[in-house]
Amino acid sequence: MDITAQLTINIFVLTFILFLISYSFSVIFYALKFIDIGHAIALVFGAYVTYFTNIQLDLSLWISIPTSIGFTIVFMLAINQWIYKPLQKRKLESWQMMVISLGLYIVVQNVISLIWGNDSLSLRTWQVKAGHEFLGAYITDVQIITVVVSIVLLVLSWLFLEKTNIGRQIKAVSSNPELSGIFGISRNRAVVWSFILGAGLAACAGILIAADTDMTPTMGFNWLLYAVVAMIIGGMGKMRYLLLGCLLLATAQHLAAYYLDSKWMNATAYIILIAFLYFRPYGFSGKRIKKAEI
Amino acid sequence: MEYILHLAILICIYTILSQSLSLVAGYSGQISLAHAGFYGIGAYTTALMSVNFGTPSLLNLLVALLLSGIIAFIVSKVAVKTIDDYYIIITLGIQVVIFSIMNNWQSITNGPLGIPGIPSFKILGFAFESKISFLLLSATFTALVWYLLHRITSSPFGTVLRALSEDEVYTNSLGKNVHNAKITSFVISGMLASIAGVLYAHYISYIDPTSFTVDESIFILSIVIIGGMRNLKGIFFAAMFLVLLPEALRFVGMPSSIAANMRQIIYGIALILVIYRMGVKKYNSRKRQATETI
Repeated sequence: MDITAQLTINIFVLTFILFLISYSFSVIFYALKFIDIGHAIALVFGAYVTYFTNIQLDLSLWISIPTSIGFTIVFMLAINQWIYKPLQKRKLESWQMMVISLGLYIVVQNVISLIWGNDSLSLRTWQVKAGHEFLGAYITDVQIITVVVSIVLLVLSWLFLEKTNIGRQIKAVSSNPELSGIFGISRNRAVVWSFILGAGLAACAGILIAADTDMTPTMGFNWLLYAVVAMIIGGMGKMRYLLLGCLLLATAQHLAAYYLDSKWMNATAYIILIAFLYFRPYGFSGKRIKKAEI
Repeated sequence: MEYILHLAILICIYTILSQSLSLVAGYSGQISLAHAGFYGIGAYTTALMSVNFGTPSLLNLLVALLLSGIIAFIVSKVAVKTIDDYYIIITLGIQVVIFSIMNNWQSITNGPLGIPGIPSFKILGFAFESKISFLLLSATFTALVWYLLHRITSSPFGTVLRALSEDEVYTNSLGKNVHNAKITSFVISGMLASIAGVLYAHYISYIDPTSFTVDESIFILSIVIIGGMRNLKGIFFAAMFLVLLPEALRFVGMPSSIAANMRQIIYGIALILVIYRMGVKKYNSRKRQATETI
């Protein structure tokens, strides 16, 4: 087995999963303007509803995947409608919204733990077989599906944001809510659509992760933080910089796993994050000091 | 009776932890999620020193204070570059890195296996072995920390912290050194947290990295938020409430496997409600201001 080729393939697959999550996260971040840890709910929820419909109700994957994506979207919309929206009206600060979303995540994650247990579950009903040989390295079916599905979804959502009317409204609202309000663009509608897009993509990512490895109720938090790290590295705005951030993160993680040990993967991601925040503290908000609004 | 004493000792430890976090998160408005890291540094310092070298406990305590102070200084130098949600993210990253070091640097910290056989706390040959004597010891430390924090927060320095949490530029214009005040408060808070770690290590006599995870940091932060951010007495009652909560749930007849999740659900909901109250208060005070100016 060729180590370099294998590493490249692993990095490639991880990059696309990270990109899917961080893209879905950034869509919601643009609309809400705070770091929404509750987004991790969408990842976990998608995977567990698929498990429920596919394994426990014994439906085929073709029915259960769309159902779970739909459920996730409805659930996240409900959270937005009844929790985030009333709170944002109160003009809470962004860290307060972040703590609220953290509380929400804790609640939902533990409810999922209560229902399905804390142990890891698997979507796998098919036989585990050795992957295809490709340039001297192995790639499994699930990994190929992951990459293909991510690329298709990302192209579709890019088209949605760039070419449709609603996509343009989302972009207008995220760049300047007041001005777009003056032009008669409904902020609420844009937020709802970005939630549909973001939660749907996150649910897909959750299902793909669950199919590739296993799922645990706490997996969402870790993946979400990786996505946030990738977003901070890549900076806001252009999709290609986000992709670059994901690539850098995935490369660093896999190289650390190969040269040091896989247990240092987590620490590597956060050391990169700390370094980036240290040298580019403006992050993507551009705010550096606390100043009262007058 | 033994069990009640055990709970009382835990309440003391968590009171020290959360009150010391209150100095950073409440007074100077920097929401830190790295607190369990300093707690762990204190615990590991005393455990390693007393197991490997058999040094007296008070010396361990001093070294733990010094070491966590140095690390807190470095951490705050890095973290002070960011504010609000980025501060939360960067301290979260630091927490994960500290945890990874405890978990993976096996030659020194013994990794996930932890350090067993930590001797009990001794002062001048008197060993605090019985529960009642250890409770007295930890209550003394809690009272000391409480008194110290009370003095700090009601001093001019405390006023500077409160001012900078609202508006850094304005505080700076009054000739106060905002940068130093932030770092000083963080260092004091980290040092005080290590006292709790020392007590915990000698009390439980066995430590492993899982006691010092991100979840622990989130738990300490929720005590501070539920207790009212800047309210030392409120934080004491919040610590009592959250430590006794699982016992109360068990008393109602809930099996302990469910009780662990239920506790987290309840504190998640409490977090959401408390922040919601903050928003309502702010909203009302703004409305009042608006009507007064008219």
